[in-house]
Amino acid sequence: MVALSSYLIVSAALLGIGVYGLSVKKNAMRLLFAIEIIVNAANLNFAAFTRYMNPPQVSGQVIVFYSIAAAAMEAAVGLALILVAFRLNSSIDVRKLNKLKG
Amino acid sequence: MDIAVSPDIVFIILTTVTILAAIMALQAKELIYGAISLAISFIGIAGFFVFLDAPYLAMLQIAVYVGAVVVLILFTIMLVRREVVGETEEREEGGEGSMGLWIAGLLAVSIAGVAALAGPDLPAAPPTAFLPISQLGPVLATAYPVPLVILALLMSAALLGALVLAKLEK
Amino acid sequence: MLVVMFLTWYERKILARIQLRIGPLYAGGPGGILQPIADGVKLIFKEVMIPYKANKPLFIWIPLALVFFAALPFAVIPFGQHWVIANLDVGLVFVFAMTSLFPSMILIFAWASNSKYPFLGGLRSLFQQVAYEIPMWISALSIVLLAGSLNLVDIVNAQQKIWFIVPAILSFIVFFVSIMAELERLPFDLPEAEPELVAGWYTESSGAIFMVLFLALYMKLYLMSSLVTVLFLGGWWGPAFLPQPVWFILKTLIVATFIIIPRGVYPRIRVDMLIRIGWTRLLIIALANVFLTVLLLNTGVLSLWGL
Repeated sequence: MVALSSYLIVSAALLGIGVYGLSVKKNAMRLLFAIEIIVNAANLNFAAFTRYMNPPQVSGQVIVFYSIAAAAMEAAVGLALILVAFRLNSSIDVRKLNKLKG
Repeated sequence: MDIAVSPDIVFIILTTVTILAAIMALQAKELIYGAISLAISFIGIAGFFVFLDAPYLAMLQIAVYVGAVVVLILFTIMLVRREVVGETEEREEGGEGSMGLWIAGLLAVSIAGVAALAGPDLPAAPPTAFLPISQLGPVLATAYPVPLVILALLMSAALLGALVLAKLEK
Repeated sequence: MLVVMFLTWYERKILARIQLRIGPLYAGGPGGILQPIADGVKLIFKEVMIPYKANKPLFIWIPLALVFFAALPFAVIPFGQHWVIANLDVGLVFVFAMTSLFPSMILIFAWASNSKYPFLGGLRSLFQQVAYEIPMWISALSIVLLAGSLNLVDIVNAQQKIWFIVPAILSFIVFFVSIMAELERLPFDLPEAEPELVAGWYTESSGAIFMVLFLALYMKLYLMSSLVTVLFLGGWWGPAFLPQPVWFILKTLIVATFIIIPRGVYPRIRVDMLIRIGWTRLLIIALANVFLTVLLLNTGVLSLWGL
Protein backbone atom coordinates (compact mmCIF):
# COMPACT_ATOMS: atom_id res chain seq x y z
CA MET A 1 0.00 0.00 0.00
CA VAL A 2 1.31 3.40 -0.86
CA ALA A 3 1.66 5.85 1.96
CA LEU A 4 -0.08 9.18 1.88
CA SER A 5 3.11 11.19 1.90
CA SER A 6 4.13 9.74 -1.45
CA TYR A 7 1.07 11.23 -3.04
CA LEU A 8 1.73 14.52 -1.34
CA ILE A 9 5.28 14.56 -2.59
CA VAL A 10 4.10 13.98 -6.14
CA SER A 11 1.56 16.72 -5.72
CA ALA A 12 4.19 19.08 -4.40
CA ALA A 13 6.48 18.27 -7.31
CA LEU A 14 3.73 19.02 -9.78
CA LEU A 15 3.00 22.24 -7.97
CA GLY A 16 6.64 23.20 -8.26
CA ILE A 17 6.65 22.46 -11.96
CA GLY A 18 3.54 24.47 -12.46
CA VAL A 19 4.81 27.45 -10.51
CA TYR A 20 8.07 27.32 -12.41
CA GLY A 21 6.19 27.36 -15.67
CA LEU A 22 3.94 30.15 -14.56
CA SER A 23 6.77 32.39 -13.45
CA VAL A 24 9.26 31.75 -16.19
CA LYS A 25 7.53 31.04 -19.48
CA LYS A 26 6.52 33.85 -21.71
CA ASN A 27 4.29 32.01 -24.10
CA ALA A 28 0.69 32.47 -23.10
CA MET A 29 -0.20 28.90 -24.02
CA ARG A 30 2.50 27.54 -21.77
CA LEU A 31 1.19 29.66 -18.95
CA LEU A 32 -2.13 27.97 -19.44
CA PHE A 33 -0.43 24.59 -19.36
CA ALA A 34 1.23 25.58 -16.12
CA ILE A 35 -2.09 26.63 -14.60
CA GLU A 36 -3.64 23.32 -15.53
CA ILE A 37 -0.73 21.46 -14.01
CA ILE A 38 -1.15 23.36 -10.77
CA VAL A 39 -4.87 22.63 -10.65
CA ASN A 40 -4.17 18.98 -11.30
CA ALA A 41 -1.66 18.92 -8.48
CA ALA A 42 -4.28 20.35 -6.14
CA ASN A 43 -6.84 17.79 -7.31
CA LEU A 44 -4.40 15.01 -6.65
CA ASN A 45 -3.85 16.38 -3.20
CA PHE A 46 -7.55 16.47 -2.44
CA ALA A 47 -8.13 13.01 -3.77
CA ALA A 48 -5.26 11.62 -1.74
CA PHE A 49 -6.55 13.12 1.45
CA THR A 50 -10.05 11.88 0.77
CA ARG A 51 -8.80 8.39 0.49
CA TYR A 52 -6.67 8.39 3.57
CA MET A 53 -9.11 9.84 5.99
CA ASN A 54 -10.68 7.61 8.54
CA PRO A 55 -13.56 7.02 7.75
CA PRO A 56 -13.30 7.95 4.08
CA GLN A 57 -15.29 10.99 3.23
CA VAL A 58 -17.03 11.49 -0.03
CA SER A 59 -16.85 15.25 0.21
CA GLY A 60 -13.30 15.20 -1.02
CA GLN A 61 -14.40 13.61 -4.24
CA VAL A 62 -17.09 16.21 -4.57
CA ILE A 63 -14.44 18.86 -4.31
CA VAL A 64 -12.36 17.22 -6.99
CA PHE A 65 -15.41 16.83 -9.20
CA TYR A 66 -16.14 20.49 -8.85
CA SER A 67 -12.53 21.43 -9.37
CA ILE A 68 -12.24 19.46 -12.60
CA ALA A 69 -15.33 21.12 -13.99
CA ALA A 70 -14.29 24.60 -12.88
CA ALA A 71 -10.79 24.21 -14.26
CA ALA A 72 -12.12 23.05 -17.59
CA MET A 73 -14.35 26.07 -17.84
CA GLU A 74 -11.52 28.36 -16.87
CA ALA A 75 -9.34 26.83 -19.53
CA ALA A 76 -12.02 27.44 -22.12
CA VAL A 77 -12.38 31.08 -21.22
CA GLY A 78 -8.62 31.49 -20.99
CA LEU A 79 -8.19 30.06 -24.45
CA ALA A 80 -10.79 32.40 -25.81
CA LEU A 81 -8.87 35.26 -24.24
CA ILE A 82 -5.67 34.08 -25.85
CA LEU A 83 -7.41 33.95 -29.19
CA VAL A 84 -8.65 37.48 -28.86
CA ALA A 85 -5.29 38.75 -27.67
CA PHE A 86 -3.64 37.08 -30.61
CA ARG A 87 -6.04 38.66 -33.03
CA LEU A 88 -5.34 42.08 -31.67
CA ASN A 89 -1.60 41.87 -31.20
CA SER A 90 -0.50 39.10 -33.55
CA SER A 91 1.49 37.63 -30.74
CA ILE A 92 1.01 35.50 -27.69
CA ASP A 93 4.20 36.58 -26.06
CA VAL A 94 3.07 37.93 -22.73
CA ARG A 95 5.78 40.53 -22.70
CA LYS A 96 4.07 42.11 -25.67
CA LEU A 97 0.61 41.78 -24.21
CA ASN A 98 1.04 44.15 -21.35
CA LYS A 99 -0.95 47.04 -22.73
CA LEU A 100 -4.50 47.46 -21.64
CA LYS A 101 -5.70 49.25 -24.70
CA GLY A 102 -7.81 47.45 -27.25
CA MET B 1 13.72 10.92 9.88
CA ASP B 2 11.30 8.43 8.54
CA ILE B 3 10.38 9.08 4.95
CA ALA B 4 7.57 6.94 3.70
CA VAL B 5 8.62 5.70 0.31
CA SER B 6 6.48 3.46 -1.80
CA PRO B 7 7.86 0.17 -3.05
CA ASP B 8 5.01 -0.19 -5.44
CA ILE B 9 6.52 -0.26 -8.90
CA VAL B 10 3.45 0.85 -10.77
CA PHE B 11 3.17 3.88 -8.58
CA ILE B 12 6.74 4.80 -9.33
CA ILE B 13 6.22 4.43 -13.04
CA LEU B 14 3.08 6.53 -12.86
CA THR B 15 4.86 9.22 -10.92
CA THR B 16 7.75 9.34 -13.35
CA VAL B 17 5.48 9.52 -16.36
CA THR B 18 3.30 12.23 -14.91
CA ILE B 19 6.12 14.42 -13.74
CA LEU B 20 8.17 13.98 -16.88
CA ALA B 21 5.16 14.75 -19.01
CA ALA B 22 4.46 17.88 -16.98
CA ILE B 23 8.01 19.07 -17.45
CA MET B 24 7.90 18.27 -21.13
CA ALA B 25 4.64 20.16 -21.46
CA LEU B 26 6.43 23.30 -20.47
CA GLN B 27 9.77 22.70 -22.06
CA ALA B 28 8.95 21.09 -25.38
CA LYS B 29 10.07 22.99 -28.41
CA GLU B 30 6.83 22.79 -30.27
CA LEU B 31 3.63 23.78 -28.57
CA ILE B 32 1.85 20.79 -29.98
CA TYR B 33 4.28 18.37 -28.41
CA GLY B 34 3.75 20.27 -25.22
CA ALA B 35 0.01 19.80 -25.52
CA ILE B 36 0.42 16.08 -26.11
CA SER B 37 2.69 15.83 -23.08
CA LEU B 38 0.10 17.67 -21.08
CA ALA B 39 -2.48 15.12 -22.17
CA ILE B 40 -0.17 12.32 -21.09
CA SER B 41 0.29 14.02 -17.76
CA PHE B 42 -3.47 14.25 -17.34
CA ILE B 43 -3.82 10.57 -18.07
CA GLY B 44 -1.16 9.95 -15.45
CA ILE B 45 -3.17 11.90 -12.90
CA ALA B 46 -6.19 9.85 -13.85
CA GLY B 47 -4.12 6.79 -13.07
CA PHE B 48 -3.42 8.24 -9.65
CA PHE B 49 -7.12 8.70 -9.11
CA VAL B 50 -7.66 5.06 -9.89
CA PHE B 51 -5.02 4.20 -7.32
CA LEU B 52 -6.90 6.32 -4.84
CA ASP B 53 -10.10 4.33 -5.26
CA ALA B 54 -11.82 7.08 -7.17
CA PRO B 55 -12.50 5.50 -10.55
CA TYR B 56 -15.30 7.84 -11.37
CA LEU B 57 -13.01 10.79 -10.89
CA ALA B 58 -10.43 9.13 -13.08
CA MET B 59 -12.89 8.67 -15.91
CA LEU B 60 -14.16 12.19 -15.43
CA GLN B 61 -10.64 13.49 -15.56
CA ILE B 62 -9.96 11.72 -18.81
CA ALA B 63 -13.25 12.65 -20.36
CA VAL B 64 -13.15 16.31 -19.36
CA TYR B 65 -9.49 17.15 -19.40
CA VAL B 66 -8.07 15.00 -22.11
CA GLY B 67 -11.25 14.81 -24.10
CA ALA B 68 -12.25 18.42 -24.02
CA VAL B 69 -9.60 20.73 -22.63
CA VAL B 70 -6.80 19.22 -24.68
CA VAL B 71 -8.95 19.48 -27.77
CA LEU B 72 -9.51 23.13 -27.04
CA ILE B 73 -5.83 23.66 -26.47
CA LEU B 74 -4.89 21.94 -29.71
CA PHE B 75 -7.45 23.95 -31.51
CA THR B 76 -6.17 27.21 -30.14
CA ILE B 77 -2.58 26.28 -30.90
CA MET B 78 -3.49 25.64 -34.47
CA LEU B 79 -5.27 28.92 -34.74
CA VAL B 80 -2.45 30.87 -33.18
CA ARG B 81 0.35 29.65 -35.38
CA ARG B 82 1.52 31.37 -38.54
CA GLU B 83 4.37 33.72 -38.08
CA VAL B 84 4.24 33.41 -34.34
CA VAL B 85 5.93 30.04 -34.41
CA GLY B 86 9.48 31.30 -34.48
CA GLU B 87 9.63 33.71 -31.62
CA THR B 88 7.43 31.99 -29.10
CA GLU B 89 9.55 28.91 -28.97
CA GLU B 90 12.53 30.64 -27.45
CA ARG B 91 13.14 29.48 -23.99
CA GLU B 92 13.64 31.98 -21.25
CA GLU B 93 17.29 32.06 -20.29
CA GLY B 94 19.04 34.23 -17.81
CA GLY B 95 18.09 35.77 -14.51
CA GLU B 96 14.38 35.29 -14.72
CA GLY B 97 14.75 31.64 -15.48
CA SER B 98 16.95 30.69 -12.62
CA MET B 99 15.00 32.74 -10.12
CA GLY B 100 11.82 31.02 -11.20
CA LEU B 101 13.55 27.72 -10.76
CA TRP B 102 14.67 28.66 -7.27
CA ILE B 103 11.24 29.84 -6.18
CA ALA B 104 9.43 26.86 -7.56
CA GLY B 105 12.06 24.50 -6.30
CA LEU B 106 11.93 25.90 -2.79
CA LEU B 107 8.17 25.75 -2.78
CA ALA B 108 8.03 22.18 -3.95
CA VAL B 109 10.80 21.00 -1.68
CA SER B 110 9.31 22.64 1.37
CA ILE B 111 5.92 21.09 0.83
CA ALA B 112 7.39 17.75 -0.02
CA GLY B 113 9.61 17.98 3.00
CA VAL B 114 6.68 18.61 5.29
CA ALA B 115 4.85 15.72 3.75
CA ALA B 116 7.77 13.41 4.08
CA LEU B 117 8.62 14.42 7.61
CA ALA B 118 5.06 14.07 8.73
CA GLY B 119 4.99 10.66 7.18
CA PRO B 120 4.45 8.51 10.20
CA ASP B 121 1.91 10.89 11.67
CA LEU B 122 -0.36 10.81 8.67
CA PRO B 123 -3.32 8.46 8.80
CA ALA B 124 -2.66 5.05 7.44
CA ALA B 125 -4.80 3.75 4.65
CA PRO B 126 -8.16 2.41 5.75
CA PRO B 127 -8.59 -1.13 4.51
CA THR B 128 -11.55 -0.63 2.24
CA ALA B 129 -12.07 2.89 1.12
CA PHE B 130 -13.80 2.29 -2.14
CA LEU B 131 -16.47 4.91 -2.44
CA PRO B 132 -19.20 3.54 -4.61
CA ILE B 133 -20.41 5.83 -7.28
CA SER B 134 -23.96 5.43 -6.08
CA GLN B 135 -23.04 7.43 -3.03
CA LEU B 136 -21.60 10.30 -4.94
CA GLY B 137 -24.77 11.25 -6.69
CA PRO B 138 -27.07 11.52 -3.69
CA VAL B 139 -24.42 13.37 -1.74
CA LEU B 140 -24.04 15.88 -4.52
CA ALA B 141 -27.74 16.43 -4.76
CA THR B 142 -28.65 16.54 -1.11
CA ALA B 143 -25.68 17.85 0.81
CA TYR B 144 -24.20 20.11 -1.80
CA PRO B 145 -26.99 21.45 -3.94
CA VAL B 146 -25.71 24.99 -3.87
CA PRO B 147 -22.36 24.21 -5.48
CA LEU B 148 -24.15 22.22 -8.15
CA VAL B 149 -26.36 25.11 -9.07
CA ILE B 150 -23.47 27.52 -8.94
CA LEU B 151 -21.51 25.18 -11.17
CA ALA B 152 -24.30 25.17 -13.68
CA LEU B 153 -24.51 28.93 -13.67
CA LEU B 154 -20.76 29.20 -13.95
CA MET B 155 -20.76 26.87 -16.91
CA SER B 156 -23.37 28.89 -18.70
CA ALA B 157 -21.46 32.06 -17.98
CA ALA B 158 -18.20 30.55 -19.19
CA LEU B 159 -19.83 29.26 -22.33
CA LEU B 160 -21.40 32.57 -23.16
CA GLY B 161 -18.24 34.42 -22.28
CA ALA B 162 -16.06 32.29 -24.46
CA LEU B 163 -18.51 32.61 -27.31
CA VAL B 164 -18.68 36.35 -27.02
CA LEU B 165 -14.95 36.71 -26.72
CA ALA B 166 -14.21 34.60 -29.69
CA LYS B 167 -16.83 36.35 -31.73
CA LEU B 168 -15.75 39.88 -31.02
CA GLU B 169 -13.52 41.65 -33.52
CA LYS B 170 -15.06 39.65 -36.34
CA MET C 1 -6.88 -9.26 -27.64
CA LEU C 2 -7.28 -12.37 -29.72
CA VAL C 3 -11.01 -12.09 -29.32
CA VAL C 4 -10.89 -8.57 -30.63
CA MET C 5 -8.78 -9.52 -33.59
CA PHE C 6 -11.08 -12.35 -34.43
CA LEU C 7 -14.13 -10.18 -34.09
CA THR C 8 -12.73 -7.54 -36.35
CA TRP C 9 -11.83 -10.07 -38.98
CA TYR C 10 -15.21 -11.66 -38.73
CA GLU C 11 -16.92 -8.37 -38.91
CA ARG C 12 -14.97 -7.27 -41.90
CA LYS C 13 -16.07 -10.37 -43.70
CA ILE C 14 -19.62 -9.52 -42.95
CA LEU C 15 -18.99 -6.00 -44.11
CA ALA C 16 -17.60 -7.25 -47.34
CA ARG C 17 -20.65 -9.34 -47.85
CA ILE C 18 -22.91 -6.47 -47.02
CA GLN C 19 -21.17 -4.16 -49.36
CA LEU C 20 -21.72 -6.64 -52.06
CA ARG C 21 -25.35 -6.26 -51.39
CA ILE C 22 -25.41 -2.52 -51.40
CA GLY C 23 -23.28 -1.21 -54.13
CA PRO C 24 -19.83 -1.79 -55.50
CA LEU C 25 -18.97 -5.33 -56.30
CA TYR C 26 -15.71 -6.28 -54.68
CA ALA C 27 -13.72 -8.81 -56.58
CA GLY C 28 -12.23 -11.50 -54.47
CA GLY C 29 -12.28 -15.10 -53.50
CA PRO C 30 -15.42 -17.14 -53.28
CA GLY C 31 -18.28 -14.77 -52.74
CA GLY C 32 -16.03 -11.93 -51.75
CA ILE C 33 -15.26 -13.45 -48.40
CA LEU C 34 -11.55 -13.32 -48.90
CA GLN C 35 -11.68 -9.66 -49.72
CA PRO C 36 -10.60 -8.30 -46.34
CA ILE C 37 -7.63 -10.60 -46.26
CA ALA C 38 -6.67 -9.44 -49.69
CA ASP C 39 -7.11 -5.88 -48.56
CA GLY C 40 -4.92 -6.42 -45.57
CA VAL C 41 -2.19 -8.07 -47.57
CA LYS C 42 -2.24 -5.39 -50.20
CA LEU C 43 -2.08 -2.62 -47.66
CA ILE C 44 0.87 -4.14 -45.91
CA PHE C 45 2.81 -4.25 -49.11
CA LYS C 46 1.93 -0.79 -50.24
CA GLU C 47 4.63 1.73 -49.85
CA VAL C 48 4.32 3.80 -46.74
CA MET C 49 4.59 7.34 -48.01
CA ILE C 50 5.04 10.04 -45.48
CA PRO C 51 4.56 13.49 -46.87
CA TYR C 52 7.37 15.98 -46.96
CA LYS C 53 7.83 17.83 -43.70
CA ALA C 54 5.19 15.75 -42.08
CA ASN C 55 5.64 14.65 -38.55
CA LYS C 56 7.02 11.16 -38.71
CA PRO C 57 6.82 9.95 -35.14
CA LEU C 58 3.31 11.30 -34.67
CA PHE C 59 2.24 9.71 -37.91
CA ILE C 60 3.19 6.32 -36.71
CA TRP C 61 2.18 6.60 -33.10
CA ILE C 62 -1.24 8.14 -33.40
CA PRO C 63 -2.87 5.36 -35.44
CA LEU C 64 -1.50 2.86 -32.97
CA ALA C 65 -2.85 4.91 -30.11
CA LEU C 66 -6.20 5.08 -31.89
CA VAL C 67 -6.35 1.34 -32.18
CA PHE C 68 -5.36 0.97 -28.56
CA PHE C 69 -8.07 3.28 -27.31
CA ALA C 70 -10.62 1.75 -29.62
CA ALA C 71 -9.87 -1.73 -28.39
CA LEU C 72 -9.61 -0.87 -24.72
CA PRO C 73 -13.30 -0.35 -23.95
CA PHE C 74 -13.99 -3.87 -25.09
CA ALA C 75 -12.61 -4.94 -21.77
CA VAL C 76 -15.64 -3.60 -19.98
CA ILE C 77 -18.35 -4.64 -22.40
CA PRO C 78 -20.08 -7.78 -21.22
CA PHE C 79 -20.61 -10.46 -23.80
CA GLY C 80 -22.51 -12.63 -21.43
CA GLN C 81 -23.47 -12.89 -17.80
CA HIS C 82 -19.96 -13.68 -16.74
CA TRP C 83 -18.15 -12.98 -19.94
CA VAL C 84 -16.70 -9.64 -19.11
CA ILE C 85 -13.05 -8.94 -18.67
CA ALA C 86 -13.23 -6.08 -16.22
CA ASN C 87 -16.43 -5.39 -14.42
CA LEU C 88 -15.93 -1.75 -13.67
CA ASP C 89 -18.49 -0.04 -11.55
CA VAL C 90 -18.19 2.95 -13.76
CA GLY C 91 -18.03 0.96 -16.95
CA LEU C 92 -20.18 3.27 -19.01
CA VAL C 93 -18.21 6.35 -18.10
CA PHE C 94 -15.06 4.47 -18.99
CA VAL C 95 -16.33 3.82 -22.49
CA PHE C 96 -17.36 7.40 -22.93
CA ALA C 97 -14.09 8.70 -21.61
CA MET C 98 -12.27 6.57 -24.16
CA THR C 99 -14.46 7.78 -26.97
CA SER C 100 -13.83 11.35 -25.99
CA LEU C 101 -10.17 10.78 -26.66
CA PHE C 102 -10.72 10.15 -30.35
CA PRO C 103 -11.35 13.69 -31.54
CA SER C 104 -8.12 14.99 -30.07
CA MET C 105 -6.10 12.18 -31.57
CA ILE C 106 -7.68 12.71 -34.93
CA LEU C 107 -6.89 16.39 -34.74
CA ILE C 108 -3.26 15.69 -33.96
CA PHE C 109 -3.08 13.23 -36.78
CA ALA C 110 -4.64 15.63 -39.23
CA TRP C 111 -2.23 18.33 -38.19
CA ALA C 112 0.69 15.94 -38.44
CA SER C 113 0.03 15.50 -42.13
CA ASN C 114 1.22 19.02 -42.61
CA SER C 115 -0.94 19.78 -45.59
CA LYS C 116 -4.01 21.89 -45.81
CA TYR C 117 -6.69 19.56 -47.02
CA PRO C 118 -6.35 16.71 -44.59
CA PHE C 119 -6.16 19.30 -41.88
CA LEU C 120 -9.40 20.89 -42.94
CA GLY C 121 -10.97 17.48 -43.01
CA GLY C 122 -9.60 16.86 -39.57
CA LEU C 123 -11.15 20.05 -38.27
CA ARG C 124 -14.52 19.15 -39.68
CA SER C 125 -14.27 15.70 -38.26
CA LEU C 126 -13.39 17.22 -34.92
CA PHE C 127 -16.42 19.48 -34.99
CA GLN C 128 -18.64 16.63 -35.92
CA GLN C 129 -17.44 14.18 -33.35
CA VAL C 130 -17.31 16.62 -30.50
CA ALA C 131 -20.74 17.94 -31.32
CA TYR C 132 -22.33 14.53 -31.24
CA GLU C 133 -20.68 13.33 -28.09
CA ILE C 134 -23.11 15.28 -26.00
CA PRO C 135 -26.38 13.89 -27.34
CA MET C 136 -24.74 10.53 -27.01
CA TRP C 137 -23.95 11.05 -23.36
CA ILE C 138 -27.33 12.46 -22.52
CA SER C 139 -29.28 9.74 -24.22
CA ALA C 140 -27.15 7.22 -22.40
CA LEU C 141 -27.99 9.15 -19.25
CA SER C 142 -31.64 8.19 -19.59
CA ILE C 143 -30.57 4.59 -19.83
CA VAL C 144 -28.59 4.97 -16.66
CA LEU C 145 -31.65 6.42 -15.00
CA LEU C 146 -33.64 3.39 -16.03
CA ALA C 147 -31.06 0.90 -14.94
CA GLY C 148 -29.93 2.70 -11.82
CA SER C 149 -26.27 1.94 -12.35
CA LEU C 150 -23.31 2.82 -14.49
CA ASN C 151 -22.15 -0.74 -14.43
CA LEU C 152 -22.62 -2.30 -17.84
CA VAL C 153 -23.41 -5.71 -16.40
CA ASP C 154 -26.10 -4.20 -14.21
CA ILE C 155 -27.54 -2.34 -17.14
CA VAL C 156 -27.91 -5.51 -19.10
CA ASN C 157 -29.28 -7.34 -16.12
CA ALA C 158 -31.94 -4.74 -15.65
CA GLN C 159 -33.22 -5.51 -19.11
CA GLN C 160 -34.38 -8.97 -18.24
CA LYS C 161 -38.02 -8.20 -18.58
CA ILE C 162 -37.93 -5.64 -21.27
CA TRP C 163 -35.34 -4.20 -23.55
CA PHE C 164 -34.62 -0.58 -22.86
CA ILE C 165 -35.35 0.33 -26.41
CA VAL C 166 -39.04 0.29 -25.59
CA PRO C 167 -39.28 2.83 -22.80
CA ALA C 168 -36.41 4.85 -24.16
CA ILE C 169 -37.21 4.79 -27.83
CA LEU C 170 -36.39 8.46 -28.27
CA SER C 171 -32.98 8.12 -26.75
CA PHE C 172 -32.37 5.09 -28.90
CA ILE C 173 -32.94 7.18 -31.98
CA VAL C 174 -30.71 9.94 -30.69
CA PHE C 175 -28.00 7.53 -29.68
CA PHE C 176 -28.09 5.75 -32.98
CA VAL C 177 -27.83 8.93 -34.97
CA SER C 178 -25.04 10.22 -32.75
CA ILE C 179 -23.12 7.03 -33.23
CA MET C 180 -23.36 7.35 -36.95
CA ALA C 181 -22.02 10.85 -36.67
CA GLU C 182 -19.24 9.79 -34.37
CA LEU C 183 -18.12 7.11 -36.70
CA GLU C 184 -18.27 9.38 -39.71
CA ARG C 185 -20.58 7.10 -41.50
CA LEU C 186 -22.92 8.28 -44.14
CA PRO C 187 -24.96 10.37 -44.12
CA PHE C 188 -22.39 12.14 -42.00
CA ASP C 189 -19.58 11.37 -44.31
CA LEU C 190 -18.11 14.81 -44.69
CA PRO C 191 -14.53 14.33 -43.65
CA GLU C 192 -14.16 11.41 -45.96
CA ALA C 193 -15.66 11.67 -49.36
CA GLU C 194 -16.00 15.29 -50.23
CA PRO C 195 -14.67 16.14 -53.65
CA GLU C 196 -12.44 18.83 -52.33
CA LEU C 197 -10.96 16.86 -49.51
CA VAL C 198 -10.02 13.60 -51.20
CA ALA C 199 -10.15 11.26 -48.29
CA GLY C 200 -10.34 13.73 -45.46
CA TRP C 201 -8.11 13.58 -42.48
CA TYR C 202 -6.46 10.38 -43.45
CA THR C 203 -5.59 11.41 -46.97
CA GLU C 204 -1.89 11.18 -46.44
CA SER C 205 -1.77 7.88 -44.66
CA SER C 206 -0.95 5.00 -46.94
CA GLY C 207 0.03 1.41 -46.65
CA ALA C 208 0.47 0.08 -43.20
CA ILE C 209 -0.59 3.28 -41.56
CA PHE C 210 -3.88 3.27 -43.34
CA MET C 211 -4.43 -0.32 -42.42
CA VAL C 212 -3.99 0.46 -38.77
CA LEU C 213 -6.37 3.39 -39.05
CA PHE C 214 -8.84 1.24 -40.88
CA LEU C 215 -8.64 -1.28 -38.11
CA ALA C 216 -9.26 1.41 -35.53
CA LEU C 217 -12.22 2.74 -37.47
CA TYR C 218 -13.90 -0.61 -37.73
CA MET C 219 -13.18 -1.42 -34.17
CA LYS C 220 -14.93 1.74 -33.23
CA LEU C 221 -17.85 0.68 -35.33
CA TYR C 222 -18.03 -2.62 -33.58
CA LEU C 223 -17.61 -0.97 -30.21
CA MET C 224 -20.47 1.39 -30.82
CA SER C 225 -22.71 -1.34 -32.09
CA SER C 226 -22.06 -3.44 -29.05
CA LEU C 227 -22.71 -0.42 -26.90
CA VAL C 228 -26.10 -0.02 -28.52
CA THR C 229 -26.77 -3.67 -27.90
CA VAL C 230 -25.82 -3.41 -24.26
CA LEU C 231 -27.69 -0.22 -23.57
CA PHE C 232 -30.82 -0.69 -25.58
CA LEU C 233 -31.23 -4.16 -26.89
CA GLY C 234 -30.80 -6.21 -23.80
CA GLY C 235 -27.23 -7.41 -24.14
CA TRP C 236 -27.18 -11.12 -24.00
CA TRP C 237 -30.73 -11.96 -23.01
CA GLY C 238 -32.44 -14.27 -25.38
CA PRO C 239 -34.16 -17.61 -25.42
CA ALA C 240 -31.85 -20.17 -23.99
CA PHE C 241 -31.29 -22.33 -26.99
CA LEU C 242 -28.24 -20.31 -27.96
CA PRO C 243 -25.41 -19.51 -25.55
CA GLN C 244 -25.35 -15.96 -24.32
CA PRO C 245 -22.39 -14.56 -26.16
CA VAL C 246 -23.83 -15.72 -29.43
CA TRP C 247 -26.94 -13.69 -28.81
CA PHE C 248 -24.81 -10.71 -28.05
CA ILE C 249 -22.77 -11.01 -31.19
CA LEU C 250 -25.87 -11.59 -33.21
CA LYS C 251 -27.55 -8.47 -31.95
CA THR C 252 -24.40 -6.45 -32.38
CA LEU C 253 -24.08 -7.56 -35.96
CA ILE C 254 -27.63 -6.59 -36.65
CA VAL C 255 -26.97 -3.16 -35.27
CA ALA C 256 -23.78 -2.89 -37.28
CA THR C 257 -25.72 -3.82 -40.37
CA PHE C 258 -28.12 -1.02 -39.75
CA ILE C 259 -25.25 1.37 -39.39
CA ILE C 260 -23.64 0.26 -42.60
CA ILE C 261 -26.70 0.18 -44.79
CA PRO C 262 -27.39 3.91 -44.93
CA ARG C 263 -24.00 4.37 -46.45
CA GLY C 264 -25.35 3.34 -49.77
CA VAL C 265 -28.71 4.89 -49.33
CA TYR C 266 -28.69 8.45 -48.09
CA PRO C 267 -27.09 11.55 -49.55
CA ARG C 268 -24.63 13.50 -47.51
CA ILE C 269 -25.53 16.26 -45.12
CA ARG C 270 -24.00 19.71 -45.30
CA VAL C 271 -21.60 20.54 -42.56
CA ASP C 272 -23.45 23.41 -40.96
CA MET C 273 -26.69 21.53 -41.02
CA LEU C 274 -24.87 18.64 -39.49
CA ILE C 275 -23.58 20.63 -36.59
CA ARG C 276 -26.84 22.41 -36.11
CA ILE C 277 -28.72 19.15 -35.92
CA GLY C 278 -26.31 17.85 -33.36
CA TRP C 279 -26.32 20.79 -31.04
CA THR C 280 -29.94 21.80 -31.24
CA ARG C 281 -32.33 19.12 -32.33
CA LEU C 282 -30.62 16.05 -31.01
CA LEU C 283 -29.67 17.65 -27.77
CA ILE C 284 -33.21 18.73 -27.12
CA ILE C 285 -34.62 15.37 -27.98
CA ALA C 286 -32.11 13.71 -25.69
CA LEU C 287 -32.94 16.02 -22.83
CA ALA C 288 -36.63 15.54 -23.44
CA ASN C 289 -36.10 11.86 -23.19
CA VAL C 290 -34.35 12.23 -19.87
CA PHE C 291 -37.29 14.16 -18.50
CA LEU C 292 -39.67 11.63 -19.90
CA THR C 293 -37.74 8.85 -18.28
CA VAL C 294 -37.75 10.54 -14.94
CA LEU C 295 -41.45 11.08 -15.28
CA LEU C 296 -42.09 7.49 -16.15
CA LEU C 297 -39.94 6.24 -13.34
CA ASN C 298 -41.59 8.41 -10.77
CA THR C 299 -45.10 7.59 -11.75
CA GLY C 300 -44.32 3.94 -11.47
CA VAL C 301 -45.37 3.06 -14.97
CA LEU C 302 -42.25 1.08 -15.49
CA SER C 303 -42.61 -0.96 -12.36
CA LEU C 304 -44.57 -3.35 -14.48
CA TRP C 305 -41.29 -4.51 -15.82
CA GLY C 306 -39.38 -4.39 -12.62
CA LEU C 307 -37.73 -1.08 -13.23
